[in-house]
Amino acid sequence: MDAVSLIERVMKLAPVLLGGVRVALLIALGAFVLAMLLGTALALLRTFSHSRSLQLAMAAYTEWHRNVPGIAHLFILYFGLPAIGIKLPAVAAAIIGLGLIGAASVGEILAAGLRSLPAGQREAALAVGLTPWQAIYLVLLPQAVRIVLPNFGNYACQLLKDTSIASAIAAPEIMFFARNLVTATFDTTLIYLLVIALYAALLLPVGLGFVWMGKRWGVAR
Amino acid sequence: MMLISARATDAVATSFENYLSDWLPRFGEAALVTAQLSLLGFVLALLLGALLTAALDSRHALLRLPTQAYVQFMRTVPLLALLLLIYFGLPPLGLSFSSFSAGALGLGLHGAAYVAVIARSALQSLHRGQREAALAAGLTPWSAFVHVLLPQAMRVMLPPLLNTYVALLKDSSLCALIACDELMLAARAMASEYFLPMQIFLLAGLFYFSVAFPLSLLSRWLERRLHTGRRSLGASA
Repeated sequence: MDAVSLIERVMKLAPVLLGGVRVALLIALGAFVLAMLLGTALALLRTFSHSRSLQLAMAAYTEWHRNVPGIAHLFILYFGLPAIGIKLPAVAAAIIGLGLIGAASVGEILAAGLRSLPAGQREAALAVGLTPWQAIYLVLLPQAVRIVLPNFGNYACQLLKDTSIASAIAAPEIMFFARNLVTATFDTTLIYLLVIALYAALLLPVGLGFVWMGKRWGVAR
Repeated sequence: MMLISARATDAVATSFENYLSDWLPRFGEAALVTAQLSLLGFVLALLLGALLTAALDSRHALLRLPTQAYVQFMRTVPLLALLLLIYFGLPPLGLSFSSFSAGALGLGLHGAAYVAVIARSALQSLHRGQREAALAAGLTPWSAFVHVLLPQAMRVMLPPLLNTYVALLKDSSLCALIACDELMLAARAMASEYFLPMQIFLLAGLFYFSVAFPLSLLSRWLERRLHTGRRSLGASA
């Protein structure tokens, strides 16, 4: 176990693991976009809708997705849906699954941001002649997003880590390749240490990016 | 589409009636393992988290820096990677665990970092004067901590600690991937046995939900209650 052989082993293993980065990022990005779109709709409905049944449905959606393990959602989508005739590829199931879970989180975060705005913001926007919809996307949403920027950062980092569970439905991301490598090379300890380093390397720019955005646009709470 | 979904719900309903008596005992057994796994992991996280909290603000850099590194490290590692490292990656170095102990250990090591962050911010949220007044009144530093600071910090800590347990309970499902015989692994086994994955995984989800949801509600209720308590205290002062 000298240094040279260690470097050789790393050089052999790392490229295989790096092969999973693209799919991991694809899953994270796809899920992030889905979560942002659905989550924003969810937050707006929860904040501005007066329909009781709609509120109840939104709350049920949020609670189910926040109180059931992610892996159960992925199994339902990947193994459960084919039984009723809907077959999803593993990567699509991972994107949809993590996106639907993320929508619940994003919805909660953004709704809290909207709630924290003074009521006068909306009233003033309507008073100067903006339509209710314009008031939302020109006045309320931009302010709410600035307030909850750090929470979005936490969510994005968590999401990137959570892509690892997509290996359980055989989506070819980092962890999937790691587990394959283990059965091929038995270099178990080193492989999982490399995996951990790889995730840290991926998380760092995301975390720093949100810190930078927070400094640039964020508001101190 | 309507036809498909009508037929699907129909099929779901019949299979539930037929198989529930087979499934429930097996789910119950596995749920017991999940309960043990998550509770053991949580206790471990609380104990280790308390030690970490003490070390995080230590005056000795030799104690403080490794602790900070540990907390930062645990917050960047995907739990699954940690579990696989403990279960498969440590035996070559001569440290083997059963899948249950590896799971509890991984959950505990991971959770401890979150517990430490929560406990530290709760302690920091207290006014400095609390400690100074306690010391001035003649309490030893230790009894000032136990009788004055900790009870107050506990009020702040309790809701996020409950959330940590809920997260840990959900995360314990990952132990299925290191072959720990808990809910998710039992569900996978049953799904391939009965060919009814939709029903079985929904039911497995319901098991987690039935514990996690009430605890989440309790945490939110406590947070509201404790928060208003603090405000009225401030108003009367």
